[in-house]
Amino acid sequence: MELKITDLTKQFKEVAAVDGVSCTMTGGVYGLLGANGAGKTTLMRMLCTLNTPTSGQITWDGQDIFSMAEAYRRILGYLPQDFGYYPDFTVEDYMLYIASIKGLRPVVAKRRTAELIRQVGLDKASGRKMKKLSGGMKRRAGIAQAMLNDPQILILDEPTAGLDPTERIRFRNLISELSEERIVLLSTHIVSDVEYIAKEILLMKDGRFICRGTADELIASMPERVWSLTVPKKEAEGYLRRYKVSNVKAVPNGAQLRILSAEPPAGMQSAQLQEATLEDVFLYHFGERSGDGNGEV
Amino acid sequence: MVKYEIKKVFARRGGVIALLIMLVLTVYTCWFATNSSSEWVNENGDTETGYHAMVKKREAQRAWSGILDEEKIRRVIEENLRITSTPEYNSKDVRLSNIAFGWGQGIHEIRGLLNHYFAVDFQTSDYYRANSLTPDMAGEFYPNRIRLLKEFLADEANGSYYRFSDAEKDWMIRQYEALKTPFYVDYMQGWDNVLTYYPTVSMILIMVLGYLMAGIFSNEFQWKSDSIFFSSAHGRNSAIRAKLAAGFLIVTAVYWAAILVYSLTVLGYLGFYGASCPLQASGRWKSFYNLTNAQAYLIVILGGYIGCVFIAFLTMLISACSRSTVLGVMTPVLIIFLPNFIQNLSFDAVIIDKILALLPARLLELNMELVYFDLFDFGGFVTGALPVAIALYVILSAALPPVIYREYRRKEIM
Ligand SMILES: Nc1ncnc2c1ncn2[C@@H]1O[C@H](COP(=O)(O)OP(=O)(O)OP(=O)(O)O)[C@@H](O)[C@H]1O
Ligand SMILES: [Mg+2]
Repeated sequence: MELKITDLTKQFKEVAAVDGVSCTMTGGVYGLLGANGAGKTTLMRMLCTLNTPTSGQITWDGQDIFSMAEAYRRILGYLPQDFGYYPDFTVEDYMLYIASIKGLRPVVAKRRTAELIRQVGLDKASGRKMKKLSGGMKRRAGIAQAMLNDPQILILDEPTAGLDPTERIRFRNLISELSEERIVLLSTHIVSDVEYIAKEILLMKDGRFICRGTADELIASMPERVWSLTVPKKEAEGYLRRYKVSNVKAVPNGAQLRILSAEPPAGMQSAQLQEATLEDVFLYHFGERSGDGNGEV
Repeated sequence: MVKYEIKKVFARRGGVIALLIMLVLTVYTCWFATNSSSEWVNENGDTETGYHAMVKKREAQRAWSGILDEEKIRRVIEENLRITSTPEYNSKDVRLSNIAFGWGQGIHEIRGLLNHYFAVDFQTSDYYRANSLTPDMAGEFYPNRIRLLKEFLADEANGSYYRFSDAEKDWMIRQYEALKTPFYVDYMQGWDNVLTYYPTVSMILIMVLGYLMAGIFSNEFQWKSDSIFFSSAHGRNSAIRAKLAAGFLIVTAVYWAAILVYSLTVLGYLGFYGASCPLQASGRWKSFYNLTNAQAYLIVILGGYIGCVFIAFLTMLISACSRSTVLGVMTPVLIIFLPNFIQNLSFDAVIIDKILALLPARLLELNMELVYFDLFDFGGFVTGALPVAIALYVILSAALPPVIYREYRRKEIM
């Protein structure tokens, strides 16, 4: 079980959406972390044989996935970022149809559909039309369809986008549950989605992997340290301009800042050294905080 | 797979509504096709309508059924003369002349044939021509049709002399001579009407079918379900074939269901009488296709089926290439209106006619082609346009699915 990407590039006219990326994946969860436009979707679509690389190679156990074609797609499960479905199909029909185009035999399709609908908690909604499901339920149906063929490679493109905090936690647990004995590649721009469940995190920026490793390795490799200090409200502005600030919190005597800096912030002896988190690493690399406001769960 | 592809089409409310609309329009056409021939003028000169009126007329005409030989023709001419010389017939009183018309209802259709076969020339039709015939002219009935054609083809003034090649002229005359005479006549209003109103049904059908077919390929993109579709094991092969199969099955099932409803209703109501009478024993007397009514109708509905299959595949191709359901829905509409557009081109009329005869729209109204003088001369081998059009679209219909298949799977999915 080895999915190997070698020097992979995808050029869209002027933009190199994916730019000379290499990586080898064996079992476990891989977190693809990047800001908007980093190239996550483009990379994943190539892994799903939907787009062809401009150059470079993707192999599965040494074989080119594009020449494997159907044989490769048999072991693939994909939840796209723009999850599209058949609006007038019931959840059950939807699952059975996807099972059929995935080449499952009808008996197996029925069994897997029932199992997965239960596993993702859609039992009560299985007779409802897809278009009548809530956003979270749709995502669950989406992940269920990806799992139908018990794929060895499961690709999830921002599966948690737009979900509320509780739903997001449920999802994270579900993914973690599903990750046994397969490769799960999960893209997100929310650190907490992958912080605890990913075996390896790939930080992607402008089409390249700028940094990779376990959460601890990424934190250890960050050259800056994290300081916490409280400043009067009117000075906070100045710090925000000079430093990378990962958090601002209003406190009674001013503002408490969380600052990334190799040295203690100038003139502030009171600054306390903090333990860095993956969130700080994200800020360090992308110059912005991760997430979409629901990040801190 | 095919089952779910079909389900995709009819799970939409629009799919079901389209079928209902089609059903309503088909029933309406049936009503039209039967009602128009359900009039009977009774002995008081009053017009009765409805089923019983139709049956009375049918019985009156069936009394004259049989081999239309010289003897029968003579009797029809005599009967017609008897009626036209009555005071009622010549009366200025509307009621009286209606009563006289009523007497002639039994021979009305054969009298119509006399008008045609004894026409002064091929292109003139005169409703009163039968009234000027005498019984001793009965023997000229069948030879007249051939004579009229020959005169028409030899006439330099009307242009037909130049319009057809010598081989084509020969072929037409031979076709005319090959018609078995004397032929059998019977009440055949059922076949006449079912042929006449067929294009209404086929037009309704193709619009509805186009609507149903248009989304099969393009909706994957509009629903954004394409990523999952194309990244599935069968997404680039048998899942696409399932779409083609679903389209074909829907066209086939919907077409034949509608045609069956239409044909059985109209023929069931008016009667199947006259199935084995030649096409030429009716207003379609000029046709050079020597077919019986039933044969002609079978060819018309088969041709229409092939036309529907072709247009449906074309719709699928357009929507697969353009990813636009709207363009797909518009395809049949454009195909239907294309002939009108071409007709308006100021171009050599003969070429235009030959083009029109081979456009897919014509397949939906082959009942017209039965009486058109469209011919093809393939280096001395002459044939009417009808078999050429059918053969052409059988081939094209068979050629389209592989094209759609390749077009749809080849795409880098953006
Ligand atoms: N089909 C395309 N044609 C042209 N450019 C494209 C196409 N798809 C993506 N791009 C460009 O490639 C770059 C990477 O896009 P991509 O969608 O892969 O990023 P992403 O990391 O998935 O972003 P997001 O977090 O917003 O989903 C962007 O600059 C985008 O504009
Ligand atoms: Mg993306």
